[in-house]
Amino acid sequence: MLPQADNTWSLNEAAHLLNRAGFGGSPEAITDLHGLGRRRAVDSLLSAADVADAFPLPAWASDEQALADMRVRAEQRREVKIATRNLSPEAAEKLRREKFQQVQKDSRQHTVEGQAWWFRRLLNTKAPLREKMTLFWHDHFATSIQKVKQPVLMLNQNELFRQRAFGSFRGLTQAILMDPAMLLYLDSGSSRKGHPNENFAREVMELFTLGEGNYTEADVHAAARAFTGYELDPLNGKVTHNHKHWDESDKTILAKTGPFTGKDVINLIFDKPQPATFMARKIWQFFVSDVPPEPAITQLAATLRGADYQIAPLLREIFLSREFYAAARVRQQIKSPIEFLVQLLKQLEVAEPPPGFPITGQQQLGQVLFMPPNVAGWDWGQAWINTNTLLARYNLAGFLAKGAGPGSMAMQGGGANNKAKANPGRRAGLGWHGPNYEKIAPAALREHPAQLVDALIFRFFQGQLPAAARTSLIDYATSQRRAGTITHTEVAELCHLMLSTPYYQLC
Amino acid sequence: MKTRREFLRSTVLGASAAWTVPLFIDRTFAQLHTGARDLATQAVTGKDDTILIVLQLAGGNDGLNTLVPFADDVYQKARPRLAKKEKDVIKLSDYVGLNGAMPYLGSLFKDGKLGMVQGVGYPNPNRSHFVSTSIWETADPRNHSNTGWLGRYFDNACPGSDSTVGISFNKTQPEAFGAVKNPGICLSSPELYRWIHGGGEQVQAEEFFAKLNQPEHAAEDHTPTSGASIAIPAGGKTGGIHGETNLAFLERVALDARVSSKRILDLAAKHTTSVHYDGFPLSRNLNLVARMIAGGMPTRVYYVSHGGFDTHNQQLNSHDRLLGQLDAALKSFFADLQQQGNDKRVVLMTFSEFGRRVAENASAGTDHGKASCLFVAGPAVKGGLHGKYPSLSDLSEGDIRHSVDFRSVYATLLADWLRVPDIKSILGASYPKLGLIG
Repeated sequence: MLPQADNTWSLNEAAHLLNRAGFGGSPEAITDLHGLGRRRAVDSLLSAADVADAFPLPAWASDEQALADMRVRAEQRREVKIATRNLSPEAAEKLRREKFQQVQKDSRQHTVEGQAWWFRRLLNTKAPLREKMTLFWHDHFATSIQKVKQPVLMLNQNELFRQRAFGSFRGLTQAILMDPAMLLYLDSGSSRKGHPNENFAREVMELFTLGEGNYTEADVHAAARAFTGYELDPLNGKVTHNHKHWDESDKTILAKTGPFTGKDVINLIFDKPQPATFMARKIWQFFVSDVPPEPAITQLAATLRGADYQIAPLLREIFLSREFYAAARVRQQIKSPIEFLVQLLKQLEVAEPPPGFPITGQQQLGQVLFMPPNVAGWDWGQAWINTNTLLARYNLAGFLAKGAGPGSMAMQGGGANNKAKANPGRRAGLGWHGPNYEKIAPAALREHPAQLVDALIFRFFQGQLPAAARTSLIDYATSQRRAGTITHTEVAELCHLMLSTPYYQLC
Repeated sequence: MKTRREFLRSTVLGASAAWTVPLFIDRTFAQLHTGARDLATQAVTGKDDTILIVLQLAGGNDGLNTLVPFADDVYQKARPRLAKKEKDVIKLSDYVGLNGAMPYLGSLFKDGKLGMVQGVGYPNPNRSHFVSTSIWETADPRNHSNTGWLGRYFDNACPGSDSTVGISFNKTQPEAFGAVKNPGICLSSPELYRWIHGGGEQVQAEEFFAKLNQPEHAAEDHTPTSGASIAIPAGGKTGGIHGETNLAFLERVALDARVSSKRILDLAAKHTTSVHYDGFPLSRNLNLVARMIAGGMPTRVYYVSHGGFDTHNQQLNSHDRLLGQLDAALKSFFADLQQQGNDKRVVLMTFSEFGRRVAENASAGTDHGKASCLFVAGPAVKGGLHGKYPSLSDLSEGDIRHSVDFRSVYATLLADWLRVPDIKSILGASYPKLGLIG
């Protein structure tokens, strides 16, 4: 067990936990969590749940509707196949395009709706750690809607990650083997006896469980044969293992020989010690720091193995450890675009973001939900930041803090190249007038520029700003105060300045 | 008080539904840059250094339908639906011709300003977009490098340059720019490439903004004239230098962004051109490159992308259309540069992560392949066909084999065009040069 921290803790430590184990929150949310004490706070994050119908899925994502749509599409494909039999390739293509135009249009629309659905949940959930782990698994078992092309399958996978967020890593890997979206993403459905496709076998070992260097090329080739025969039934949308297309002969994988199936291979992998180390390291990097201390990883890997790969005990140990709250860990992590956007909205107490803001922000900052760049997931940390994305962060913050003034162009230039043109938001965003500054900066607080600045510093940074930056901000507030009462516009300006800093990119 | 010209621009032109791209950009920049009201066409004389434009054809360009071996029976047989006939191409020899969608490049070839490098690739080719792009961008076929070939050029051959030595017009930094010290800058929507204040007391707010985005340790220096990268090393693709904190990294990027943003807006607003660019992203980006060059940016490398080349399905029309867009964009770009008098300073090279399979697939498209061709264009280029056209019968897994290592192309451009004395510091080894320049 890592050395554990005391139950008594500071407000800034509570903020640190909420930032890392969730997506931050308003000053009230931080105060509430702090009041629980450290242990109960961690317990509450691990046990929280959203009420059943808090986030109703879009109608098209219900099981019945999805199944009906799937059947219609299968029938359509059959009809088109017959209709194009005697046509020239050009005419056949034209017919296909016409026939499937509506399907593609629906799919784009559903993609936008699905992305909006998850973002809303990330923002308003009562179970932020569960959502954060859902994002972790989405990055770990990275699957993109751009290839899968069936939004309902992505939402189903998303629900799988949510339900099993704190459960067994082994069990989740088994479930991913049978996940339709992953099957389509890695082309496993066409992997058959005699023609195995190595994609899934390789990624399972390299990216999902063992890590490079802990298996051989021969293991990959043999495992690919074991992973043959997994097929998506187009009529019920489930993955089944078709033994007719499975290579049932003996294979030698990770030094064991037998007529293994895909499921057996995953069990063989999890009999090895590496998946525990691999996952402990990845979880640490996600929640704590880029370069994990090796003794801590060894310890956490032992915890994970001891708990039969259950994730909850691992998270509890990390979030109660002294190491997690060390000064060198706090406010040292670069926010991912999703963290940046959700934290920003929560800190400005905007429960209903301007339409189009979330997706435009995701596109400009380089992390679009359901669209990781490849099977390795996103590059985290410093890779999020370049001159372009940093300015985009400043400008998105400005748009949210100030509203859509005549000079505001932060909402432009989003999805110009994105087929799922989610730009109704750009126009709708023009109706945005900014957050509720009566609440964020009450009149009494505005009488005292230094107190106003310190209150906003707690809201946005929950820690010390460099003295020069704080002085600069107080100077600014004071100069506004001298000219009369500090107006909403001036508070907004102050907020935008605070958000347009390198410090705000850290949490 | 508005001048008549400004009035016309903001109303009549502003109301027009059919803005041309240059007008759109002029308008945008003029709005942003209050000091740039004089739109007279005049190129600011800047640095006289040579400039390399790297143009990525993303998705895997089909080399066989770009530089077409129309006279080869194997080609005609392998592609019953996709093969170009003699009449469809711009003949360059009795054996090959350019895809007919590229008349401008055809004329450039005839003027001796277009070099076609044939059969470019690398040993043990990888057919994954992701891996192969990475290999081209890092110039490391083992795909282990954390830095890009252009980033290493900035680091090792451009001492004293600030971050504007390389500009990529992309949302994310291309891996080619990954560097230990100076990764260049990246800019996707130029109108957004600045801190947008949005009304109120702008001057005062901007002063405070500048203070807040000044690195702590450089807080005494209130007048930085160039990016942070002069003094302090910046992060590469895997980020930063060992031991550097995330905050120090962020402060550096912030300073680079602030400083380069001001210069870019200042310069881009000054230049206008009578050359017409069409509305596609590539044209728009090359228009911006032309403005940067006209403005006298000290940039040595610009990086732009043209996407959509992953033509697995019904590729005939889509591929021709993409090449047509490329041709039109290059035509405008070089005309603009010529008007500025800067054309002789510029060489442009294309690359793509791989070519495509010789045989067409069942969907009248082509699948991921291996070796392909690339272009090198500009008045300084030694035009003609370089390398040998690859054999279509001696294949490797259905793909043509490479005869020119892509690092030879890089080595040639680095040494003969960007005048790098020590190629090994960038490519790790020496490669035979190709005689593409002069």
